[in-house]
Amino acid sequence: MVSLGVNRPYVVVLLIPTGIGASIGGYAGDAIPIARSLAAVVDCLITHPNVLNGAQLYGSASNILYVEGYGLDQFASGMWGLRPVHQNRVGLLLDQGIEPELRIRHLQAADAVRATLGVSMTDYALTDTPLDVGLHLSSSGAAWGTIANPDSLLRGAEKLIRDGGAEAIAVVSRFPDEPNSPSLQAYRHGQGVDHLAGAEAVISHLVVRTFHIPCAHAPALQPLPLDLDLAPRSAAEELGYTFLPSVLVGLNRAPQFITQSPLRPVDTIDGLWANQVDAVVVPDSACGGSAVLNFSHSATRLITVTENQTQMAVFPNQLQLPALRLNSYLEVIGAIAAHRAGVNVETLVSNLSSIKPIP
Amino acid sequence: MTTHFITAEITMQESVADLHQEISATLSNYGQPLRWAVTSIDAQQQTLALEAVVTTD
Repeated sequence: MVSLGVNRPYVVVLLIPTGIGASIGGYAGDAIPIARSLAAVVDCLITHPNVLNGAQLYGSASNILYVEGYGLDQFASGMWGLRPVHQNRVGLLLDQGIEPELRIRHLQAADAVRATLGVSMTDYALTDTPLDVGLHLSSSGAAWGTIANPDSLLRGAEKLIRDGGAEAIAVVSRFPDEPNSPSLQAYRHGQGVDHLAGAEAVISHLVVRTFHIPCAHAPALQPLPLDLDLAPRSAAEELGYTFLPSVLVGLNRAPQFITQSPLRPVDTIDGLWANQVDAVVVPDSACGGSAVLNFSHSATRLITVTENQTQMAVFPNQLQLPALRLNSYLEVIGAIAAHRAGVNVETLVSNLSSIKPIP
Repeated sequence: MTTHFITAEITMQESVADLHQEISATLSNYGQPLRWAVTSIDAQQQTLALEAVVTTD
């Protein structure tokens, strides 16, 4: 998939940052159709849990690489590479703050994913204290979060790696139930920001930054009361007791990072690096993240999508980023298919002008 | 270790590479960056709003 041949592989990164209220991909796995469609016209699609996780639903394909956001930022910077794998042994870390019955629901979900999909898992671990997640909405409208006991998170992850032999970490932490909050009501109705998302990213970023292995997070929450006006984009999170299955499926084949890890030897196997990425696709208003800024001073094409609106207000022209700004993901898929075929998208119109002498 | 949410204002730079360096320098004043984003740009003042979560030991 990533080896060089006569035609080098066409590699695309699809970014829809979590917790910024993206109108497409800001809800419950609602960017999966975009990822699956893009994957059909490229050799390799690199994207992240917010795009591929739909609670108990998921989208996977053999040419989609599931890369956590901190690792994706490091990859974009050229500091880390990606090494595709056939399978990881996934360690499950449960927050001690999860009530016993809800904990059992998550263990049963893990067993179900093992039994039906053949995911490889180590035994599980509990954090030695409740993680105590805090949720925040910033003045920009983005969701951010903090955890009171990050050291407990890291001790639990280290135990899974060191004693359990885990090659990837799935974290489930107890998030505050706020069934009547206006932000949750808006989210359930397909509006506003996923207020859990920022804290989820902080948890997985901490594990990846510390141990350099794949990680993803699922929140533990009590089931919500029935809502007759539930938006389709949010509906995947209301199918049951847990959001864990999509995380386990993603981590099962998540690429390993090529870097020096505190717990593992230097990995020298060739893999995929940022300079092999042909295009990065991002919402038009969300060009202020680390990965986009890194890719923007490389040969990678920046493609932005104006239809996918977010709470951010950082557009490519404001930063003088050379971008192909398209209206929809349908246009992106067409533009990428054309570029991969060696066709200039500017020739796909009726009013093609003649070439002129250089002044 | 503790996690902190912070906001900062930075000055627009001539190149994206310089901007990236300015962001890194700003964040390092608060701790070790975990996740950050430029969230808006004031074109008149030539400033950018930065939001981040950092960790400190």
